[in-house]
This record gives sequence, C-alpha cells and structure tokens, in this order.
Amino acid sequence: MEALRVEGLTKEFGGIRALNNISFTVKNGERLAIIGPNGAGKTTLFNLLNGQYKATAGRIYFLGREITDMPTRSRTYLGQGRSFQVTSLFSNLTVLCNVLLAIQGTGPPRFQLFRSISAYKHLYTKAQELLEAVALWSKRNELAQSLSYGEQRRLEITLSLALEPKLLLLDEPSTGLTPAESSDIVNMIANLVRDITVIVVAHDMDLVFGMAERIMVLHYGEIIADGTPAEIQTHSRVKEIYMGIEEDTRSAGAI
Amino acid sequence: MKIAELKPGGQPQQGRLVRFSLYFVIGLILIVLPIFLPMYLQGLMTKILVFAIFAMSLDLIWGYTGLSSMGHAAFFGVAGYTTAILIRHYGVVTFLETAPLSILMATLFAAVFGIISLRVSGLYFLMVTLALGQALFSIAWQWYHITGGAFGLTIPPLNLGIPGFTSTAISIYYFVFIFFIICYFLLRRIVNSPFGHVLQGIRENEPRMRALGYNTWLYKYIAFIIAGFFAGISGILFVHWNMLISPYQLGMIQSTYAALCVILGGPGTLVGPVIGAAVVIGLEYGASLYNPERWPLFLGIIFVISVMFLRGGVYPRLNNLWKKVGEKYSYGSTKG
Repeated sequence: MEALRVEGLTKEFGGIRALNNISFTVKNGERLAIIGPNGAGKTTLFNLLNGQYKATAGRIYFLGREITDMPTRSRTYLGQGRSFQVTSLFSNLTVLCNVLLAIQGTGPPRFQLFRSISAYKHLYTKAQELLEAVALWSKRNELAQSLSYGEQRRLEITLSLALEPKLLLLDEPSTGLTPAESSDIVNMIANLVRDITVIVVAHDMDLVFGMAERIMVLHYGEIIADGTPAEIQTHSRVKEIYMGIEEDTRSAGAI
Repeated sequence: MKIAELKPGGQPQQGRLVRFSLYFVIGLILIVLPIFLPMYLQGLMTKILVFAIFAMSLDLIWGYTGLSSMGHAAFFGVAGYTTAILIRHYGVVTFLETAPLSILMATLFAAVFGIISLRVSGLYFLMVTLALGQALFSIAWQWYHITGGAFGLTIPPLNLGIPGFTSTAISIYYFVFIFFIICYFLLRRIVNSPFGHVLQGIRENEPRMRALGYNTWLYKYIAFIIAGFFAGISGILFVHWNMLISPYQLGMIQSTYAALCVILGGPGTLVGPVIGAAVVIGLEYGASLYNPERWPLFLGIIFVISVMFLRGGVYPRLNNLWKKVGEKYSYGSTKG
C-alpha cells in the first residue's frame, strides 16, 4: 500500500518556483531520504506535505486520502508526525510538559478543564517510556531551554514520535550534532517499528546512507534522481551536482 | 511511580503541609484582619480582591495563552452596566436575579469579541481588542438615557434577596472574599488541567502545537470566553462595591490597569496578578493621599519600571526567595 502519493506538486513564492511539478510515491514502511544542495526545495516539500504551506498546484494523497488543502492538525490526526529543522520546542516548559503536550495532542483529555493533568496516569507512563528511550527521563523537570543542543534535538524528535505517527517526517534531524549523537539518531530510526514510514531530509551522508532504502535527489525544485543508495552513488547527474560544486570551489581556491 | 514528584508546571514543590499552612495563614489574615481596620481600608481591601479577580481573568489569556488583550475591561464593564441597567431601568433588585444575567452578558460579549479579535494575532490582536473596548466606551458615553452618559449609573446598596443581610463595608468585603476564593480555585484548576497546559503550549510555540494536532484557534477562543466570564464576575462585584459604574470602567485605562497588575505581579501565574492588584491599588491609594490628579503619571512610571527591571514580575522572585529559604532550613530535603 502507498503511504504517500504526490502528483505534480508545485510551489511558487512570488516569482520564484521552489518546487516544480514534482511527482513521487512512497510505499508503506519505506525509509526514504531526500537530499540535495541548499535551496533545492527540501524543506518546502516538507512544509507542503505537513500543511505549513499551501501548494500552488498539484495534489497530495496520504494513506489514500487527498490532503492537499487539509490544515496541519488534521494531517496530524491522520497520522503524520513531523520534526523541525530549526528546533521547535516549548522553551519555558519542562521537558516532561513538552512530551505530555505531544502525547495528549491526539488524545481525548485535551479539552478537560477541571481535572488536574497529574490525574492522567497513562499520559505519564507513556511520557516516561518515551523519555527513557532517549535518555532524557532524568532531565524531565528541567526547562526545555536549559537542555544542551543535542538533547534538544532528541526531544524534538521525541515530540514527533509521541504522536505515534504512521508517517514520520524528519527535517535535518542530525544538524549540529556530533558524529556519535548522529549515529544515535540512525539507530533510533533503525529501531522504529516497520509499519512507520520515514522520510528524512538531510545533508549528513552518514545518516542518509545509514538509514535509507531509497534516496531522492532534489535540485532547483526538481527530482533529478530517485533510486537505491547504490544507484544514487553511481548516478552521473548527482555526481555532477555534488562533485561539480566541489570542483568549482577547488579551482576557485587554486586561483 | 509517584505522581507527586512529576508535576509538569516547573514550580518548586514544597511539602503539602507547608503549602497548606501557608494558605491557612494567608486565609486567616484575609478573614480576620479587616475586622480591625477602619472602614475605608476595608473598602480598599475589597477593591484589591475585585481587581485581583479581574487581573487573574486577564492573566488566563495574557500570561498563560500569550494573548495581549487591551480591551479586557469591556467584559468587566458590560457586566457592571448590565447590573446597573437592570436595577435602574427594569426594577430588578436582588443580586440573585441581576448577577447571572450580567455574567451571561459579559460571556456573550467575549464570545462575539473573540470571533472578531482572534482572527489576527500579536500586535494586531492588541489593536483590535483595544478598538472594541473603546467602541463600548463611546457607546456608554453617548447613549446617556440608558447608560447615564459620562456620569454613569448609580445603584442602591447591595440587595442579596436574603433577609438579615445588610450592606456594610465589612459585609461587602466578605461577600467579595467568597467570590475571590471560588474564582481563584476554579482558575487554578483550569490552568493545571490538560486544557491549561495546552494554553501554555500555545503561548510558547503555536505552530508546533498545530503540528501536534491541536486546533489552536479553538483553544484560544475558549480561553477568551472563560476570561470574559471571570471578568464579568469581577465587574458585578465592582459595581456593588462602588455603587456607581461609569464609561471609564469599560475603556482603555481600566484595561491597562489590569494589564499592569498582571505584568507587575507575574504573568503566567495566578498569585502574581493578586499581588500585582494589591501593589497597584496600594500605591494608588498612597499617591491619592498626596496628589490624586497625578496618579496616571505614577501608573505610567510603575509600568515602565516593571517592564524594564521586573521582567517576569514580582511573584516568581518571591517564589525563588521562598524556595531558597526552604532549602536552607530544611534538612534531608528530598530532591526530585
């Protein structure tokens, strides 16, 4: 079954076409990495998939339902979970509170007015599970803003996992992390249940080749390559873009 | 797993006993002290409690949800005017009849104003709420055969409809005190509930809340209406205490006044606005002994000082101090 189908997706900002007539499908449970130079349209694509932006043209189907014009929250209900490239936490709330908000987002007690949140034990049990998995349980009572950058990144991803998504969209999950922390994230993705579909946007090639079964290369808003990691490594256009840039800078340095 | 040590609010956890005894002492002071005070100070304490409710209601949207409203006095004034108009023009005399209708009116106005103002956010929200409040101000000012125009409406002393109750400074004080206690604990329940946590999440990061599946608009709207409800309660208490309602209770100055209580006391806490109300009204009283006409000038100076030097308000600072004292004098303290 298809987790995601994108047909002729286009996004324009004023006169600039950030995404140009993109079409692809993602199978259920697939691990897909989207790579490409800066400005290729990777984050724009995520913002369209998750509903932060409205598409200029084209359609998006998620688990067989058209979601092109759906607000973000409805997509979350259908089973999308997203982490952000720029860490997007609730800075002045505790770590535990951050996770509780994520858990109850799609749960029934969220409109409860007159009962203390500490009465909902199942929320706490689940928060403990999630936070222990990323080694943040001992920091549960600290404010999110007081965490180190690596910890904030882990919390960021935990928030999207707390939604129990069917499709996980991770935008640059390893930016600014040490190689060791970054391989923790690769392991985390590898350990996810197989029925979760994962799409990662990344620059970090260790992460990409560590987790992806399929790689899609974006360049100036168009898909220029789509295949297995082995195919992408030998793809001539991809080489040209990545190596070409490198060659340019090298020659510029020589002069 | 002990739930007690998992409080998500980030506030220091004193022992239950300490907390309870603190409530007890403060409660006792509020109950016993006024008996020994002269009448005008009883009145002053009543005013503090009325404005404490008003400021707490504003804090629900200002401090907890992050919506800076400059028109919150609209609901305070609408409730006050409804009571006064019912008594003066329709001959409805007892509190039990006027109060529910007045609070309902305030809540309805909040429901309508919320739809209009929550279409925008940030500074625009502030401007729209300000404009709506000022619109009511000018209606109250000009519709004089109903509202009494600039002079406002006077009402007779509080009639509870209960035989044996006579309206005196001290009885009005206790009457307001009961409402204050109820409002405080209701609001405390709300801010500690799942709903209250959602409001704080919206304050911190609204786009992320949307990505987590929350209909943030609806939460803001409900919070706005609840805040209007509680502002309505403070409005009817005000009109019975003051026995006069004038257009100023609807307008910008009144809204700024509440905002000052919140900012000075500590936005995002419930005790903060109460302290803020006590400080602001206390200072107003002190200033009025010397120079009543210059009070707005003092108000402005306090505003500037609290924004520049007291970020986060008085209450969080007191709380930290209290925590430090607690750490110093408690041996074998358990750290979660």
